[in-house]
Amino acid sequence: MRPGQAARLSRVLVGCHPRRWRERYGEELLDVLDQHQASARTVLNLAASAVSTHLDPAYRMEGFSMTRLRRAALISAALAAPFVLFAAFFLYGMWPEHWQPTTDDALGAVAFSPHGAILVTAFGESGDGVDVLWDVTNLSRPRRLSQFEGGEPTALSPDGHTVATIAFSGRPALWNVANPRRPVKIATLPCCDGNLLWGEAFSPDGQILAAAYYDQIYLWDVADPARPRLLRTLDAAVTSPPQAAVGNSLAVPFSPQDIAFSPDGGILASATGTDQVTLWNVTEPAHASRIAAIGGAGDFIQAFTFSARGNLLAAVTWRGTVLVYSLADPARPVRTATVRGLLARARYPGGSSQPDQPTCTTCGPASYAVAFSPDGHTLTVVVAREETAPNDAGRDTAFAWHVTGSGALGAVTVAARDVADSQPFLAPGGRTVLGGPLESSAWHAWALP
Amino acid sequence: MHGKFDDLGRFTDPSLLILTSLADGPKHGYAIMTDVAAFSGVRMEPGTLYGALSRLERRGWVRPLATAERRRPYEITAAGQEVLAGQVTAMQQIVQVARLRTATAWGA
Repeated sequence: MRPGQAARLSRVLVGCHPRRWRERYGEELLDVLDQHQASARTVLNLAASAVSTHLDPAYRMEGFSMTRLRRAALISAALAAPFVLFAAFFLYGMWPEHWQPTTDDALGAVAFSPHGAILVTAFGESGDGVDVLWDVTNLSRPRRLSQFEGGEPTALSPDGHTVATIAFSGRPALWNVANPRRPVKIATLPCCDGNLLWGEAFSPDGQILAAAYYDQIYLWDVADPARPRLLRTLDAAVTSPPQAAVGNSLAVPFSPQDIAFSPDGGILASATGTDQVTLWNVTEPAHASRIAAIGGAGDFIQAFTFSARGNLLAAVTWRGTVLVYSLADPARPVRTATVRGLLARARYPGGSSQPDQPTCTTCGPASYAVAFSPDGHTLTVVVAREETAPNDAGRDTAFAWHVTGSGALGAVTVAARDVADSQPFLAPGGRTVLGGPLESSAWHAWALP
Repeated sequence: MHGKFDDLGRFTDPSLLILTSLADGPKHGYAIMTDVAAFSGVRMEPGTLYGALSRLERRGWVRPLATAERRRPYEITAAGQEVLAGQVTAMQQIVQVARLRTATAWGA
């Protein structure tokens, strides 16, 4: 700012003070300004003085001039604008390294749109979280679009327009994110109060929403998301947890991949806290029925996924066994591969085989994510091993197997990275691992080699 | 008082600086500014000066004298002197402890 300009603005700002104040100090102040070399700092200082004097009760009582106050506020805003812009640019420059929503809670759940362009992340307690919508067309440079308080997102509809969440009440809720900058709540689905919601999934055509509860699966017609219609309730009998396997049934963590439709939408698979994956024929959702159960090895299913063609289903268990089934005849699934001992090969931070601190007895051995590559030739399983709190270090180990045409697993490649993770997630395509630290709301993505 | 702390705005309360400036006799606005800059290195802006002067006047710690042309000198009152003395004592105590502790810690 040029000195002449600053001097003129300073004089204008003296006139922006309350009348009584000007009558008392105006002349003196102008005299001081005559002798003082005015700068941008002088102008800002006088603008602040004008505003604070107007807010001063001693002067506010009398002759409160809104026009003058408004003038002072406008001048202050005009002066502050360059600084705000500078700060905005500064923050924008930091954007790619740190994507933090306004909460300090850990990443609780994520949902990708089927083609991977939109991502919803949730932070905070289950059912009471802050959801953030991201444009992840370029996953290495996510753009934050908006946020809403919807609870954990468990699914994004195939058209990317609807997010199904677990709302605060524990009920499923639908949010319209067609305009991802302005999410709007559409409906809370009335059901199942007090029950534990395990997960949700949209059918590939987006017409059906399946929600898995403790011992039941609900199928809704959500062709019109504003008017969801309950079609069918399925009894997903829960087998009692194999005590020998975990010692404490409560120790079994919420699994993010516990209900899924087959790619053609004809089969619904669920693993609601059991050692089995149940297959349901949902060709006609209103008459859905159980067709088969797979697994049953006394070890909890933690994550599972269909291959893109729907001919294979891969699952990972609590104790780190990978199972692959052929669904050529869904009524008679055939196990095509079994790989044990994943936990022994997935190391702790720094590559050590033991955690730094003794593992807590109620903690699980690991968290898992599983995905097939789009061509079905690769199966990726990510094992996240955490240190015990308060140490929040972790290590993601990614195992990638070649999958033969018959569903057998061939050569494996292993990649690992030290992270500060809780639950890992695999982006569509199975080549990018997402995770977030336990003690902060940041998240990160790393690409598999 | 001049140094890095000025950037943080600590120890440079305008009221204290003005009272200190007026302690050796009445001065008008611009004279206070130059005097403060001379003894403390703090470049006080007119808005800050008059904001503080009006507060000090309301509290009765300074008193305006008759205007000579456009310039109005200010004088420290007895109450103002008392406040200043109290502040100086408190600061002396801080300085004393700070000296003692830095000497112990750094072996100066």
